[in-house]
Amino acid sequence: MSTNVYVAGVGSTKFGVLPGRNLQGLAAEAARAALVDSNIPSARIGCVFVGNFVGGIMTGQELLGPIVAADLGLSNVAAIKIEAACASSSAAARIGHDLIRAGAEDAVLVIGVERLTGAPRDALTSAMTAAIDQGTEGVAGLTFPGFWGMVMARHMHLYGTTREQVAAVTVKNRKFGVGNPLAQFQKLVTPDEVLASPPISDPIRRYDCCPATDGAAALVLTNETLAKQYGSPAVRIAASVLINGPARITDYDEITTHDGTVRAAIRAYEIAGVGPEDIDVAELHDCFSVAEIVDSEDLGFFAKGEGGPAVAGAPSARNSKVVINPSGGLLSKGHPTGATGCGQIYEVVMQLRGRHPNQVPNARFGLTHNGGGTAAAVTVHILETSR
Amino acid sequence: MTVMQGTVQSHTVIRVPDKAHAAMAPFVLLLVELANGKRVLGHFHGASPPAIGSRVTADASEQATPVFREETQ
Repeated sequence: MSTNVYVAGVGSTKFGVLPGRNLQGLAAEAARAALVDSNIPSARIGCVFVGNFVGGIMTGQELLGPIVAADLGLSNVAAIKIEAACASSSAAARIGHDLIRAGAEDAVLVIGVERLTGAPRDALTSAMTAAIDQGTEGVAGLTFPGFWGMVMARHMHLYGTTREQVAAVTVKNRKFGVGNPLAQFQKLVTPDEVLASPPISDPIRRYDCCPATDGAAALVLTNETLAKQYGSPAVRIAASVLINGPARITDYDEITTHDGTVRAAIRAYEIAGVGPEDIDVAELHDCFSVAEIVDSEDLGFFAKGEGGPAVAGAPSARNSKVVINPSGGLLSKGHPTGATGCGQIYEVVMQLRGRHPNQVPNARFGLTHNGGGTAAAVTVHILETSR
Repeated sequence: MTVMQGTVQSHTVIRVPDKAHAAMAPFVLLLVELANGKRVLGHFHGASPPAIGSRVTADASEQATPVFREETQ
């Protein structure tokens, strides 16, 4: 018999440029905050999963699982790093979720952590392209702004999405970032500033791109028994899905529809017994401004091609209430790649507790969507309030 | 000898490359659907990409990445 799984506690560092901090220290800070928040004694933790993408490349540090566990004083746990590019820590959450659901563990600590700032831009670009198949597409010079530039050019061609609609994503998420103390960017931008920013990979410009970010976020996952025993401020995980999508741009039938996201969402809605129309708040993977438009369509909030008009204010027949990326999203809160998945769940848990700085009124169901590579490793989590 | 013929599915101009392609940038990258339905990434003879839907061809080459040009009528 399977049990319900809860997020018992959450913790996060500030997301931003954090010079002088190392991966271990950031991870431990977020983890301690999550443990305190959960009210569950650390001795009850059976596993520590650390989601991290490029710690080895950027900092030379590996084996984060045992090192972080030791720093937390945990000496009798299964502790490993889990890598799924930019979806590393939400993938780790899925594995923790499954262990608790199966009854194999009572409490799991999931941490996401990354350090990306301070490196030369070409070194950062090269590190990120580690998630592109080097045998086929890395040799051609494809980058992630390149992938999303191609997606954006074709979305505009097929659906008439305008440059201004795509810029509206950045403008909206910068506005949310100003309200979120954890966010890297605390400054508004205008549509004109987006359109005048330097080109990166046509038609993508600098303000269409998420920043390089340092940070960590952590979750304590547990079952109903422990959550009740320790009085945790628990939020139920109604669905936790990890699924693969096309791992190369050339494997896509149509690059403006991300099959991994579509299939992860369909499965998550089935498991949770809800539909896209029931979601009040969503934190989705806006690594580039156009990605929010594509993702919001593939998650079922809007019909294909209606994501651009929707962000610019057009009413949607499918879901007229969902608030997207009130944290500021990857575009403004920042994208510490390995930490982003846990950071999104942190944000939605705060929404469902009614304690978010950009609170969505009466939020009952929240969704997170996190993608690694060319939407090649995709997670969707649906969480339900206990209020 | 022409070895590849196809239609442009999408394009970009890479202006911030990774380290391995620093000397090439900026450069056009094309996603091309070949006649057999297979998709390939290619470079392009030219500084501005051809429109989506354009017909392009690439010649035989030792290079890993094909280099396309716009098909002449």
